[in-house]
Amino acid sequence: MRLSQAMQINQRPAPTGSARRKLHLVCGFTPLHLATYLRAYARTRFSGDDVEVVTGLYGNIEDGLRTARGGTSEGAVVVLEWSDLDARLGLRSAAGWSAAVLADIARQAPERLRHLESLILNLSQSVSVALVAPTLPLPPLTHLPPAQAGVFELSLRAALALFLERAAASSRVRIAAEDALARGSPAAGRHDVQLDLRADFPYTLAHAAAVASLAVECLFPPVRAKGLITDLDDTLWQGILGDAGAAGVAWSLDAHAQPHALYQELLASLAEAGTLIAVASKNDPALVEDAFARPDLLLRRTQVFPLAAGWGAKSQSVARILQAWNIGAGSVVFVDDSPMELAEVGESFPAIECLRFPSGDAAGVLDLIHRLRARFGAAEVREEDRLRVRSLSASAAFAGERAAHTGDFQARLEARLTLEFSTAADDGRALELVNKTNQFNLNGRRFSEAEWRSLFQQPGAFLLTAAYEDRFGPLGKIAALAGRCTGGPAEAEVEVDSWVLSCRAFSRQIEFQMLRCLLEKYRARGIALCFRPTPRNGPLQEFLGRLFPAGSLEGRLSLSAAGFAAHCPVMFHQVITKNG
Amino acid sequence: MDNVKDKLTACFATVFPSLGPAAIPSTTAAGIAEWDSVAQVNLLSVIGEEFGIDIDFEDFEGATSFQAILDRLRQRGAGA
Repeated sequence: MRLSQAMQINQRPAPTGSARRKLHLVCGFTPLHLATYLRAYARTRFSGDDVEVVTGLYGNIEDGLRTARGGTSEGAVVVLEWSDLDARLGLRSAAGWSAAVLADIARQAPERLRHLESLILNLSQSVSVALVAPTLPLPPLTHLPPAQAGVFELSLRAALALFLERAAASSRVRIAAEDALARGSPAAGRHDVQLDLRADFPYTLAHAAAVASLAVECLFPPVRAKGLITDLDDTLWQGILGDAGAAGVAWSLDAHAQPHALYQELLASLAEAGTLIAVASKNDPALVEDAFARPDLLLRRTQVFPLAAGWGAKSQSVARILQAWNIGAGSVVFVDDSPMELAEVGESFPAIECLRFPSGDAAGVLDLIHRLRARFGAAEVREEDRLRVRSLSASAAFAGERAAHTGDFQARLEARLTLEFSTAADDGRALELVNKTNQFNLNGRRFSEAEWRSLFQQPGAFLLTAAYEDRFGPLGKIAALAGRCTGGPAEAEVEVDSWVLSCRAFSRQIEFQMLRCLLEKYRARGIALCFRPTPRNGPLQEFLGRLFPAGSLEGRLSLSAAGFAAHCPVMFHQVITKNG
Repeated sequence: MDNVKDKLTACFATVFPSLGPAAIPSTTAAGIAEWDSVAQVNLLSVIGEEFGIDIDFEDFEGATSFQAILDRLRQRGAGA
């Protein structure tokens, strides 16, 4: 992005009624163009919402780290350079480069880093932090020729690496990756020496843009795709299964098929982190099962669901997979080596991102792997992510058995429901559920971290979450409800601002148990639901239709305790209530 | 058509969005409050980007009006 473009983005009026957001920038140098770029990238990320970039006192990084705490900031970007470890490491210092000075710098740097670490971790208690480690070269301080790294430089880098490792252990601190930065900003083009000396702004425009872009991506990662559908022949492995047989397809270095092994490793890693992996292949299903039984396959059969093999059109297999996953085509990537198959699927499902597997082009495969990692990258992997494939398989078994036995099916589920109340706004899973659930969603409202936190600062605010398990297996935490309780004990009323239930947990009466739990805990006369219809919350509307059979579903819906009791079905869960 | 003047006018419009096109050629640092030292760095950086030149800040020392900057760009042969 050019500086003039960034300025023009920043000058655009915000959409009517949009939020005004705040973002802290903490750095030891003049923020200048970095602040301009940061605001422009953040505004772009937030669809044009106005973003105020708040900077601390010039030259005082400690002050910046302290003042960024609290408030309703969306996050903080902390950009360190070597001179923040010790001013004598910057070009603006004239303290000398003698051996004694360097020894003193090396002695003090670890302590300084410990101090910064403590301030950054404190800051991360209140906001998420993107941390950019020094990006500029060290000045030629030592007697060594530039080709040789010495003890001084290596000890500084070692102390820095330890500092970053400790900071990265906090889930609220995200370290900007140097490799990613180097792809957009090569080392030789980063330092603007003239501007560094003249205005204490050390970055070239291109580097400032790259740092700002990376920091925004770290702090506000794009919504990751949910599922990947892969072809098999000349994609997951080299060769045609129908011709070569299960033993004849290859993915090894010896067979010159290593790129397929890399692709398998990626898929297995994505599956482990909660990405849904399915197969759509024109093959004999029995042969495919034989190939998946090979012990050297790096993607395990249990990591794939569903496996759609047959002779119909690929788009038919994709349709079955989407139905089994119960997710929209827009959250899915389809990978195949055949341009014809990609076109056929793309025509039937325009929202699916179709990517060609460049069989025979090792560098191309590595590019694809980088691209897929970016599309599916997760800042954090939760227990629910690890459970996802297993719980989907369980849901399929659940649905099959439910269709076969209607009578006492619910009673035989051996369902255990854990309902937990809290006022903590730092439940990342609850916020994730609220921001990605469409079908059972009270009003479709999405929240930034800052908006989510401020919701729980209101009087009487609470969060209710539900985790579920039955004889088909655990589903993990699958529902979140945010609301407020107002009024005294005899006349309490609960208002629900946000309520979502994962589609994996439908048909288990969890929604009824949540409402019953609310009425019991607060001894409430009723519950007000801040409902808004959306194009995708049909299942939620269907549920509300059962509670309000006579009324029209519009706006704020009031449900009395008696009204709930009249429409609540018989339930069989074993309910464990925490903090109830 | 004066290409250098047009490009410089565009730079001023980007850095000082409150200025109308007619007012830009007579703009001086003393005449508008927004033209401070930060704006000067922004302006010269945008000019460097727009003209594809490395700006030497020394060359623009004391250039605190549209006309003065235009003259120095012409002396350097920018946009030619």
